[in-house]
Amino acid sequence: MVSSDTQVENNLSQESGLAIINSKAPFSSDFGKDALDVALIFGSFEQKVSLFFQGDGVYQLIGHQDGTLVSIKDYLKTFSAFEFYDIEDIYVCQQSLVNRQLDESFHIDNVNVLASLEFGLAINRHQHVLRF
Amino acid sequence: MKTLAVVITTPPYSPLTVTALTYVETALIAGINVIGVFFYQDGAMHANENISIASDEYQAIAHWQRLNQQYQLPLHICITAAEKRGIACDSVDNEEINGAFTVSGLGELVELTTKATRLVQF
Amino acid sequence: MSTLHLVRKSAFTTNDFAQCLSVLDQQDSVVLMDDGCYNLKHPLMDSLIKRSESTISINVISNHAKARAIETLAAIQHIEMNDVVELTFTHNKVITWQ
Repeated sequence: MVSSDTQVENNLSQESGLAIINSKAPFSSDFGKDALDVALIFGSFEQKVSLFFQGDGVYQLIGHQDGTLVSIKDYLKTFSAFEFYDIEDIYVCQQSLVNRQLDESFHIDNVNVLASLEFGLAINRHQHVLRF
Repeated sequence: MKTLAVVITTPPYSPLTVTALTYVETALIAGINVIGVFFYQDGAMHANENISIASDEYQAIAHWQRLNQQYQLPLHICITAAEKRGIACDSVDNEEINGAFTVSGLGELVELTTKATRLVQF
Repeated sequence: MSTLHLVRKSAFTTNDFAQCLSVLDQQDSVVLMDDGCYNLKHPLMDSLIKRSESTISINVISNHAKARAIETLAAIQHIEMNDVVELTFTHNKVITWQ
Protein backbone atom coordinates (compact mmCIF):
# COMPACT_ATOMS: atom_id res chain seq x y z
CA MET A 1 0.00 0.00 0.00
CA VAL A 2 1.50 3.29 -1.03
CA SER A 3 0.45 6.67 0.25
CA SER A 4 -1.46 8.88 -2.15
CA ASP A 5 1.52 11.27 -2.29
CA THR A 6 3.80 8.49 -3.46
CA GLN A 7 1.18 7.44 -5.97
CA VAL A 8 1.12 10.93 -7.43
CA GLU A 9 4.92 11.00 -7.64
CA ASN A 10 4.97 7.61 -9.39
CA ASN A 11 2.41 8.70 -11.92
CA LEU A 12 4.29 11.91 -12.47
CA SER A 13 7.42 10.09 -13.50
CA GLN A 14 5.54 8.52 -16.40
CA GLU A 15 4.58 11.91 -17.76
CA SER A 16 7.00 14.25 -19.40
CA GLY A 17 7.31 17.42 -21.36
CA LEU A 18 4.92 20.17 -22.25
CA ALA A 19 1.60 19.92 -24.08
CA ILE A 20 0.48 23.09 -25.84
CA ILE A 21 -3.21 23.25 -26.72
CA ASN A 22 -4.06 25.63 -29.55
CA SER A 23 -7.66 26.79 -29.41
CA LYS A 24 -7.76 29.94 -31.55
CA ALA A 25 -8.11 30.53 -35.29
CA PRO A 26 -4.87 31.85 -36.82
CA PHE A 27 -5.54 35.35 -38.14
CA SER A 28 -7.60 37.29 -35.60
CA SER A 29 -5.32 37.11 -32.59
CA ASP A 30 -1.65 36.53 -31.82
CA PHE A 31 -2.37 33.43 -29.73
CA GLY A 32 -1.28 31.03 -32.48
CA LYS A 33 1.99 32.88 -32.99
CA ASP A 34 2.63 33.15 -29.25
CA ALA A 35 2.03 29.41 -28.85
CA LEU A 36 4.35 28.71 -31.78
CA ASP A 37 7.12 30.80 -30.19
CA VAL A 38 6.82 28.78 -26.98
CA ALA A 39 6.88 25.49 -28.91
CA LEU A 40 9.98 26.46 -30.90
CA ILE A 41 11.91 27.60 -27.84
CA PHE A 42 11.15 24.32 -26.04
CA GLY A 43 12.26 22.49 -29.17
CA SER A 44 15.50 24.44 -29.40
CA PHE A 45 16.23 23.71 -25.71
CA GLU A 46 15.69 20.03 -26.56
CA GLN A 47 12.72 19.78 -24.25
CA LYS A 48 9.85 17.54 -25.23
CA VAL A 49 6.91 19.56 -26.53
CA SER A 50 3.75 18.34 -28.24
CA LEU A 51 1.11 20.37 -30.03
CA PHE A 52 -2.62 19.87 -29.72
CA PHE A 53 -5.22 21.55 -31.92
CA GLN A 54 -8.78 21.76 -30.67
CA GLY A 55 -11.82 23.94 -31.36
CA ASP A 56 -11.00 26.83 -33.70
CA GLY A 57 -7.34 25.92 -33.20
CA VAL A 58 -7.76 23.31 -35.96
CA TYR A 59 -7.96 26.16 -38.48
CA GLN A 60 -4.22 26.68 -37.92
CA LEU A 61 -3.58 23.40 -39.74
CA ILE A 62 -5.80 23.79 -42.78
CA GLY A 63 -4.08 24.00 -46.15
CA HIS A 64 -4.10 26.80 -48.75
CA GLN A 65 -4.30 29.67 -46.25
CA ASP A 66 -2.59 32.96 -47.02
CA GLY A 67 -2.24 35.40 -44.15
CA THR A 68 -0.43 37.88 -46.37
CA LEU A 69 -3.77 38.70 -48.04
CA VAL A 70 -4.81 40.23 -44.72
CA SER A 71 -1.33 41.65 -44.01
CA ILE A 72 -0.41 39.00 -41.48
CA LYS A 73 3.04 37.47 -41.42
CA ASP A 74 2.32 33.89 -42.33
CA TYR A 75 3.66 32.15 -39.24
CA LEU A 76 1.81 28.98 -40.25
CA LYS A 77 4.59 28.37 -42.79
CA THR A 78 6.95 27.89 -39.85
CA PHE A 79 4.99 24.76 -38.90
CA SER A 80 6.90 22.92 -41.64
CA ALA A 81 10.07 23.44 -39.54
CA PHE A 82 8.75 21.39 -36.63
CA GLU A 83 10.86 18.38 -37.51
CA PHE A 84 14.05 20.44 -37.28
CA TYR A 85 13.05 21.30 -33.72
CA ASP A 86 12.22 17.67 -32.95
CA ILE A 87 8.56 18.54 -32.51
CA GLU A 88 7.04 15.30 -33.71
CA ASP A 89 3.88 14.86 -31.71
CA ILE A 90 1.07 16.83 -33.30
CA TYR A 91 -2.51 15.97 -32.46
CA VAL A 92 -5.83 17.21 -33.81
CA CYS A 93 -9.23 16.77 -32.24
CA GLN A 94 -11.36 14.84 -34.73
CA GLN A 95 -14.65 16.15 -33.37
CA SER A 96 -13.45 19.74 -33.88
CA LEU A 97 -12.76 18.94 -37.56
CA VAL A 98 -16.15 17.27 -38.00
CA ASN A 99 -17.98 20.18 -36.35
CA ARG A 100 -16.34 22.55 -38.83
CA GLN A 101 -16.90 20.35 -41.90
CA LEU A 102 -13.16 20.04 -42.41
CA ASP A 103 -11.50 16.99 -43.84
CA GLU A 104 -8.26 15.57 -42.59
CA SER A 105 -5.92 17.35 -44.97
CA PHE A 106 -3.33 19.64 -43.45
CA HIS A 107 -0.49 21.86 -44.59
CA ILE A 108 2.02 19.76 -42.64
CA ASP A 109 2.64 16.01 -42.53
CA ASN A 110 2.52 13.56 -39.66
CA VAL A 111 -0.53 14.98 -37.94
CA ASN A 112 -2.43 12.56 -35.71
CA VAL A 113 -6.20 12.89 -35.77
CA LEU A 114 -7.67 11.59 -32.52
CA ALA A 115 -11.16 11.07 -31.13
CA SER A 116 -11.92 13.09 -27.98
CA LEU A 117 -11.05 10.31 -25.55
CA GLU A 118 -7.66 9.58 -27.15
CA PHE A 119 -7.01 13.30 -27.55
CA GLY A 120 -7.48 13.72 -23.80
CA LEU A 121 -5.31 10.71 -23.04
CA ALA A 122 -2.54 12.09 -25.25
CA ILE A 123 -2.61 15.39 -23.31
CA ASN A 124 -2.41 13.36 -20.10
CA ARG A 125 0.92 11.88 -21.12
CA HIS A 126 2.55 15.27 -20.49
CA GLN A 127 3.72 16.77 -17.24
CA HIS A 128 2.62 20.34 -17.96
CA VAL A 129 -0.03 21.96 -20.16
CA LEU A 130 -0.32 25.47 -21.58
CA ARG A 131 -3.31 26.54 -23.63
CA PHE A 132 -3.45 29.41 -26.11
CA MET B 1 9.34 19.39 -2.51
CA LYS B 2 6.29 21.07 -4.00
CA THR B 3 7.44 23.61 -6.54
CA LEU B 4 5.14 25.80 -8.56
CA ALA B 5 5.68 27.95 -11.65
CA VAL B 6 2.96 30.32 -12.81
CA VAL B 7 2.32 31.85 -16.24
CA ILE B 8 0.33 35.10 -16.36
CA THR B 9 -1.18 36.15 -19.69
CA THR B 10 -3.67 38.78 -18.51
CA PRO B 11 -2.89 42.51 -18.16
CA PRO B 12 -2.64 44.33 -14.79
CA TYR B 13 -6.01 46.04 -15.25
CA SER B 14 -7.90 42.77 -15.82
CA PRO B 15 -10.03 41.38 -12.98
CA LEU B 16 -8.72 37.95 -14.06
CA THR B 17 -5.32 39.00 -12.74
CA VAL B 18 -6.85 39.42 -9.26
CA THR B 19 -7.64 35.69 -9.26
CA ALA B 20 -4.08 34.87 -10.34
CA LEU B 21 -2.59 37.05 -7.61
CA THR B 22 -4.85 35.57 -4.95
CA TYR B 23 -3.83 32.08 -6.07
CA VAL B 24 -0.11 32.86 -5.98
CA GLU B 25 -0.28 34.58 -2.60
CA THR B 26 -2.35 31.70 -1.16
CA ALA B 27 0.29 29.25 -2.42
CA LEU B 28 3.09 31.31 -0.84
CA ILE B 29 1.25 31.50 2.49
CA ALA B 30 0.76 27.73 2.34
CA GLY B 31 4.53 27.36 2.14
CA ILE B 32 4.66 26.26 -1.49
CA ASN B 33 7.93 27.06 -3.20
CA VAL B 34 6.82 29.31 -6.06
CA ILE B 35 9.95 29.28 -8.19
CA GLY B 36 8.81 32.03 -10.52
CA VAL B 37 6.04 33.87 -12.31
CA PHE B 38 6.41 34.30 -16.06
CA PHE B 39 4.48 37.17 -17.65
CA TYR B 40 3.62 36.39 -21.26
CA GLN B 41 1.27 37.90 -23.87
CA ASP B 42 -0.70 40.78 -22.26
CA GLY B 43 0.79 39.79 -18.91
CA ALA B 44 3.97 41.58 -20.00
CA MET B 45 2.18 44.90 -19.49
CA HIS B 46 2.73 44.49 -15.76
CA ALA B 47 6.29 45.77 -16.13
CA ASN B 48 5.22 49.07 -17.63
CA GLU B 49 6.11 51.82 -15.15
CA ASN B 50 3.74 54.23 -16.90
CA ILE B 51 0.62 52.28 -16.10
CA SER B 52 -1.55 54.20 -13.70
CA ILE B 53 -4.67 52.59 -12.31
CA ALA B 54 -7.18 54.70 -10.37
CA SER B 55 -6.35 54.53 -6.67
CA ASP B 56 -9.71 53.06 -5.69
CA GLU B 57 -9.18 50.09 -8.01
CA TYR B 58 -7.19 46.91 -7.52
CA GLN B 59 -3.46 47.62 -7.73
CA ALA B 60 -2.18 44.44 -9.35
CA ILE B 61 1.31 45.77 -9.98
CA ALA B 62 1.74 46.93 -6.38
CA HIS B 63 0.63 43.51 -5.16
CA TRP B 64 3.16 41.70 -7.37
CA GLN B 65 5.83 44.07 -6.05
CA ARG B 66 4.81 43.26 -2.50
CA LEU B 67 5.01 39.50 -3.14
CA ASN B 68 8.38 40.01 -4.81
CA GLN B 69 9.72 41.82 -1.74
CA GLN B 70 8.03 39.74 0.94
CA TYR B 71 8.79 36.31 -0.53
CA GLN B 72 11.63 37.09 -2.98
CA LEU B 73 9.21 35.86 -5.63
CA PRO B 74 10.94 36.02 -9.04
CA LEU B 75 8.86 37.94 -11.61
CA HIS B 76 9.95 37.42 -15.21
CA ILE B 77 8.72 39.55 -18.10
CA CYS B 78 8.93 38.11 -21.60
CA ILE B 79 11.04 40.60 -23.55
CA THR B 80 9.36 40.00 -26.92
CA ALA B 81 5.89 40.37 -25.43
CA ALA B 82 6.96 43.54 -23.56
CA GLU B 83 8.63 45.23 -26.52
CA LYS B 84 5.69 44.74 -28.81
CA ARG B 85 3.56 46.41 -26.14
CA GLY B 86 5.70 49.53 -26.07
CA ILE B 87 7.95 48.69 -23.13
CA ALA B 88 11.52 49.36 -24.19
CA CYS B 89 13.75 46.71 -22.66
CA ASP B 90 17.12 47.74 -24.09
CA SER B 91 19.05 49.29 -21.20
CA VAL B 92 19.87 47.86 -17.78
CA ASP B 93 18.71 50.70 -15.51
CA ASN B 94 15.59 51.27 -17.56
CA GLU B 95 13.12 53.70 -16.04
CA GLU B 96 10.25 52.33 -18.11
CA ILE B 97 10.46 48.96 -16.40
CA ASN B 98 9.21 48.32 -12.92
CA GLY B 99 12.18 47.24 -10.78
CA ALA B 100 10.40 44.25 -9.27
CA PHE B 101 10.40 42.57 -12.70
CA THR B 102 13.27 40.88 -14.49
CA VAL B 103 13.42 41.09 -18.27
CA SER B 104 13.75 37.51 -19.52
CA GLY B 105 13.35 35.52 -22.68
CA LEU B 106 11.15 32.52 -23.36
CA GLY B 107 14.15 30.40 -22.32
CA GLU B 108 13.27 31.35 -18.74
CA LEU B 109 9.85 29.74 -19.25
CA VAL B 110 11.61 26.54 -20.34
CA GLU B 111 13.75 26.70 -17.20
CA LEU B 112 10.76 27.24 -14.89
CA THR B 113 8.74 24.51 -16.58
CA THR B 114 11.47 21.90 -16.31
CA LYS B 115 12.12 22.74 -12.63
CA ALA B 116 8.54 23.02 -11.39
CA THR B 117 6.44 20.06 -10.26
CA ARG B 118 3.36 22.05 -11.31
CA LEU B 119 2.82 24.72 -13.96
CA VAL B 120 -0.34 26.82 -13.69
CA GLN B 121 -1.47 29.31 -16.29
CA PHE B 122 -3.70 32.31 -15.63
CA MET C 1 -3.01 10.49 -13.96
CA SER C 2 -5.54 13.04 -12.83
CA THR C 3 -5.91 16.56 -14.12
CA LEU C 4 -7.22 19.68 -12.39
CA HIS C 5 -9.29 21.77 -14.80
CA LEU C 6 -9.60 25.48 -14.04
CA VAL C 7 -12.59 26.83 -15.99
CA ARG C 8 -12.59 30.63 -16.27
CA LYS C 9 -14.96 31.34 -19.18
CA SER C 10 -18.70 31.31 -19.51
CA ALA C 11 -19.94 28.60 -21.87
CA PHE C 12 -22.58 31.09 -23.02
CA THR C 13 -19.75 33.04 -24.67
CA THR C 14 -17.08 30.55 -25.68
CA ASN C 15 -16.51 26.85 -26.30
CA ASP C 16 -13.79 26.54 -23.67
CA PHE C 17 -15.98 24.68 -21.19
CA ALA C 18 -17.25 22.29 -23.89
CA GLN C 19 -13.65 21.60 -24.91
CA CYS C 20 -12.73 20.94 -21.30
CA LEU C 21 -15.59 18.47 -20.94
CA SER C 22 -14.54 16.63 -24.09
CA VAL C 23 -11.17 15.66 -22.57
CA LEU C 24 -12.35 15.20 -18.99
CA ASP C 25 -11.26 11.93 -17.40
CA GLN C 26 -12.79 9.92 -14.54
CA GLN C 27 -10.28 10.94 -11.87
CA ASP C 28 -10.23 14.61 -12.83
CA SER C 29 -11.55 17.61 -10.91
CA VAL C 30 -13.15 20.76 -12.24
CA VAL C 31 -12.95 24.15 -10.56
CA LEU C 32 -15.26 26.88 -11.82
CA MET C 33 -13.76 30.32 -11.25
CA ASP C 34 -14.24 33.85 -12.58
CA ASP C 35 -16.90 33.80 -15.35
CA GLY C 36 -16.63 30.02 -15.36
CA CYS C 37 -19.10 30.22 -12.43
CA TYR C 38 -21.86 31.05 -14.91
CA ASN C 39 -21.53 27.51 -16.24
CA LEU C 40 -23.48 26.33 -13.20
CA LYS C 41 -26.61 27.35 -15.12
CA HIS C 42 -25.47 26.10 -18.52
CA PRO C 43 -27.04 22.97 -20.08
CA LEU C 44 -23.55 21.46 -20.29
CA MET C 45 -23.48 21.38 -16.51
CA ASP C 46 -26.41 18.95 -16.41
CA SER C 47 -24.52 16.49 -18.56
CA LEU C 48 -21.45 16.90 -16.37
CA ILE C 49 -23.40 16.28 -13.18
CA LYS C 50 -24.92 13.16 -14.69
CA ARG C 51 -21.46 11.96 -15.56
CA SER C 52 -20.09 12.74 -12.16
CA GLU C 53 -22.03 9.93 -10.53
CA SER C 54 -18.66 8.61 -11.49
CA THR C 55 -15.75 10.16 -9.71
CA ILE C 56 -15.29 13.57 -11.25
CA SER C 57 -15.36 16.25 -8.57
CA ILE C 58 -17.01 19.55 -9.47
CA ASN C 59 -16.11 22.62 -7.45
CA VAL C 60 -16.78 26.32 -7.52
CA ILE C 61 -14.84 29.07 -5.77
CA SER C 62 -17.38 30.25 -3.25
CA ASN C 63 -16.65 33.99 -3.44
CA HIS C 64 -16.52 33.97 -7.23
CA ALA C 65 -20.06 32.56 -7.39
CA LYS C 66 -21.36 34.74 -4.55
CA ALA C 67 -19.94 37.89 -6.12
CA ARG C 68 -21.93 37.10 -9.27
CA ALA C 69 -25.13 36.25 -7.36
CA ILE C 70 -25.15 32.75 -8.80
CA GLU C 71 -27.16 30.15 -6.97
CA THR C 72 -25.17 27.01 -6.69
CA LEU C 73 -26.24 23.41 -6.92
CA ALA C 74 -26.17 20.64 -4.36
CA ALA C 75 -23.87 18.52 -6.50
CA ILE C 76 -21.21 21.24 -6.47
CA GLN C 77 -18.64 21.66 -3.74
CA HIS C 78 -17.86 25.15 -2.50
CA ILE C 79 -14.18 25.75 -2.09
CA GLU C 80 -11.76 28.58 -1.34
CA MET C 81 -8.48 29.52 -2.99
CA ASN C 82 -6.41 27.49 -0.52
CA ASP C 83 -8.34 24.42 -1.68
CA VAL C 84 -7.37 25.24 -5.27
CA VAL C 85 -3.72 25.36 -4.22
CA GLU C 86 -4.12 22.00 -2.50
CA LEU C 87 -5.89 20.48 -5.53
CA THR C 88 -2.98 21.69 -7.68
CA PHE C 89 -0.74 19.21 -5.91
CA THR C 90 -3.18 16.35 -5.39
CA HIS C 91 -3.61 16.17 -9.18
CA ASN C 92 -0.83 15.46 -11.64
CA LYS C 93 -1.30 18.54 -13.76
CA VAL C 94 -3.40 21.64 -14.27
CA ILE C 95 -5.13 22.85 -17.43
CA THR C 96 -6.58 26.36 -17.49
CA TRP C 97 -9.53 26.88 -19.82
CA GLN C 98 -9.64 30.63 -20.45
